[in-house]
Amino acid sequence: MAEALVIRNLSKRFGGLRAVQDLSFAVQDGETVALIGPNGAGKTTSFNLITGYYRPDTGSVFAFGRELVGLRPHEICGHGLARTFQVARPFGKMTVLANVMTGAFLRNKNLDTARSRARTAIEFVGLSAKEHTPARELTTIDQRRLEMARALATEPRLLLLDEVMAGLNHAEVDQAVALIGKLSKRGLTIVIVEHVMRAIMAVARHIVVLDHGQKIAEGGPKDIVANQEVIRAYLGTGYRYEAPAGDAAC
Amino acid sequence: MTHIWKTRPWFWVAVLAAIALVLPLVVSNPFAVDIFIRVLLFAFIGVAWNLMGGYAKQLSLGHAAYFGLGAYTSTILLIRFGISPWIGIIAGGVVAMLASLPIGALCFRLRGPYFAIATIATAQVLMLLFLKFRDFAWGAEGTTLPNLGDAPLMMQFDSKAAYYYLALALLALGLAITYRIERSWMGFYLVAVGEDEDAAEAIGVDTTKIKRHIYLISAFLTALGGTFYIQYIYFIDPNTAFSFNISVEAALVSIVGGIGTLWGPVVGTILLEATSALLQSWFGSGHGGVQLTVYSLILVSVILWRPSGLIGVFSDLYRRFTYAGAARAKEVPLDG
Amino acid sequence: MLATLAQAVVNGLLIGGIYALVSIGVTLIFGVVKIVNFAQGEFVMIGMYISFFLASTFGVDPLLSLLISMPSLFAIGVLLQHFLIRRVLALGDMPQIFLTFALSLLLMNIALLLFTANYRTVQTPYSELTFHIGPVYFAVAKLIAFAIAMLLSALLYLFLHGTDLGKAMRAAAQNREVAMLMGINPDRVFCVAVGVALALAGAAGSLLMPFYPAYPLVGQIFVLMAFVAVVLGTLGNITGALIASLMMGVAESLGVQFVGADSGLIVVFVMLLLTLAFRPNGLFGGWAR
Ligand SMILES: Nc1ncnc2c1ncn2[C@@H]1O[C@H](COP(=O)(O)OP(=O)(O)O)[C@@H](O)[C@H]1O
Ligand SMILES: [Mg+2]
Repeated sequence: MAEALVIRNLSKRFGGLRAVQDLSFAVQDGETVALIGPNGAGKTTSFNLITGYYRPDTGSVFAFGRELVGLRPHEICGHGLARTFQVARPFGKMTVLANVMTGAFLRNKNLDTARSRARTAIEFVGLSAKEHTPARELTTIDQRRLEMARALATEPRLLLLDEVMAGLNHAEVDQAVALIGKLSKRGLTIVIVEHVMRAIMAVARHIVVLDHGQKIAEGGPKDIVANQEVIRAYLGTGYRYEAPAGDAAC
Repeated sequence: MTHIWKTRPWFWVAVLAAIALVLPLVVSNPFAVDIFIRVLLFAFIGVAWNLMGGYAKQLSLGHAAYFGLGAYTSTILLIRFGISPWIGIIAGGVVAMLASLPIGALCFRLRGPYFAIATIATAQVLMLLFLKFRDFAWGAEGTTLPNLGDAPLMMQFDSKAAYYYLALALLALGLAITYRIERSWMGFYLVAVGEDEDAAEAIGVDTTKIKRHIYLISAFLTALGGTFYIQYIYFIDPNTAFSFNISVEAALVSIVGGIGTLWGPVVGTILLEATSALLQSWFGSGHGGVQLTVYSLILVSVILWRPSGLIGVFSDLYRRFTYAGAARAKEVPLDG
Repeated sequence: MLATLAQAVVNGLLIGGIYALVSIGVTLIFGVVKIVNFAQGEFVMIGMYISFFLASTFGVDPLLSLLISMPSLFAIGVLLQHFLIRRVLALGDMPQIFLTFALSLLLMNIALLLFTANYRTVQTPYSELTFHIGPVYFAVAKLIAFAIAMLLSALLYLFLHGTDLGKAMRAAAQNREVAMLMGINPDRVFCVAVGVALALAGAAGSLLMPFYPAYPLVGQIFVLMAFVAVVLGTLGNITGALIASLMMGVAESLGVQFVGADSGLIVVFVMLLLTLAFRPNGLFGGWAR
């Protein structure tokens, strides 16, 4: 299987703080990988490094055979990597449809084509009923849905999702898991940052654990939940892999 | 977008256009026609500003730079080289576009208030430079334009109506360009940049490039206004051509009318110029300060009570009277 | 040549002290309230007119009228924050920029209506007084203004570092949410910050009066200088603003001396543009936003 994303020795400091240290991992084409770890571990920073929002101090990011370090975020999106923000950032005064159309224009500048592609993405995340609602009037959860639809409208090959399930109830998590499963079936490669362990166990075949900016473990779900260091740093002793269990973290 | 224009847009545009076209034929009072010309010109400058300041929210306070460059380019070409202002007006637009590239490269690195301050500085630097260019550009004294009588080929007319129609044509051009942009991917990209640049980059918007492009268009149009104005008043000096008031008025009419809307600058200009005309007839033109005092009071009120601009007030009223019309409103996707 | 240079530097430093009062005010408001006050220069203008009318009507020395101009402008600042600025804090860039911008226009033009465009000056016994050290002349009025400006800056520094209210202000400048968690009332802190900033502008006005004419547009020069100094000195950084203001004064003065009488402003603007181009975060590090 080919590698969609290869990260090597990625580091980023903010003043004296080492937010990401010497991080390396790879994501296979079509695979779903979870990036987990306590708050402040450097997950969001890693996303920002991969997608060009921060320039890494050292290291490289290879995606689909191309070096991404030094490219601007829009170029990286053009190469097929789309992301969501941990705190959704919709274009508040645009409608849901206009938001998603703006994403769709990346691949096609025609208004009608963009509209129909946007509608497909909106339907996919289940926001069709609110197509004409200004984004600022949406609930936080709907804003995250919108952000996913907007990212999907850019027709990515790799999707980076930053805590899209935070604050969802049990049923909504199930929905989100199903959604990600559907995307994965279509062949999309996914990197997901999440605290909801139940969801991670359901979608990810491979997990990378960060703590204090460093990778402390990597492997399949079963190995990870049994890993002593992961338990110490993140999961706590209460968590055992008897999937599907409750939400262990946060 | 206002709902007036959603329900039966072309009908209303046609009515407006018809009124605008016959206005100088039925009103011959030169004082009134002069006000109409000012309205058209400043609405046009406002429309040019609005493309960048309103849609992309790059709040420039230095558009006088382009107004002045347009004015000086055509005037220098006219007086020094005898070249017709019809060519000069385009040349001025091109000079403004060229100037917008380095200015944009400098200022677009900054956001919000720093961007505004930097644009003020660029316009001021240009004004100070033109004050220094005594040999070539007449320095602080400025110059009057040669009066060639009725010379349409040199953009000089005996009748005020001719200037009126020229200004109207400029405004129509500005509105048409805005209309086209608003309904294309570019309009979506501009609003996205205005709302959140980082989020726009995340979905593949080259924010630097789109800002550069809209700045080119905005600078070009503003420069056309500069040439027109100087041809109309037959006089140029740095304090007129690069006047800070031009920069202010361009932003002001858009904000009062409604930034990021097609008709906002037009509504804003009509309101402000009507106010100013009334004030002049009450106080005479000798009282410096009255007009800008009232302008700034209007601006403060709009910001505190109606930051989206007054155009919304009109559309709300219209909607209230024609509920059925609003229910039939066609979808305009860009706006909520 | 050397004497001319030294004279230009001294003149620049002395006027730079006044610029410092204005830019410290701008940077204080920016640091705490996160608003760029375009009207700061107009409050200098108000300070000048207060001193002018006290001097021309009651014969009060402009330096003495500091005791009136500063408290008056402090009160205006509190009202400004409470009734106007507070209402746009949650809104975007446009209302924030154009509220204080409109205020600047408003104050300028009201002054034009009330006081006309005439230059108003106040003659004091020390207005024309000078002394010299070697070949370099010192204008007494400017020297006094400079000394008081530095004293006020030092007092502000002590206030910010030595009092609970000052510390609360710095906390709010650094992190609003954390400051609120610590039980700091942001409204009060903001009102005091704007009040203090305007009091400094008022002080600048009174200090200028013995050697500088008052007129409605006078604030423009000072606010432009302040913007340059504030950007140079890193927005929100008070010591940076002080040092940068002195530098601006010197740069302007050197420009006037060696490039031409009308070149002071060009030098200033070019410095601003160069700063923005090469050090958009200011000379003293930190953040731009
Ligand atoms: N722009 C920044 N400037 C300074 N510190 C930052 C910045 N972004 C993140 N950090 C710090 O880096 C660390 C990692 O943060 P983050 O990547 O957001 O963690 P996570 O997403 O895993 O919760 C945190 O200590 C955070 O405070
Ligand atoms: Mg995070």
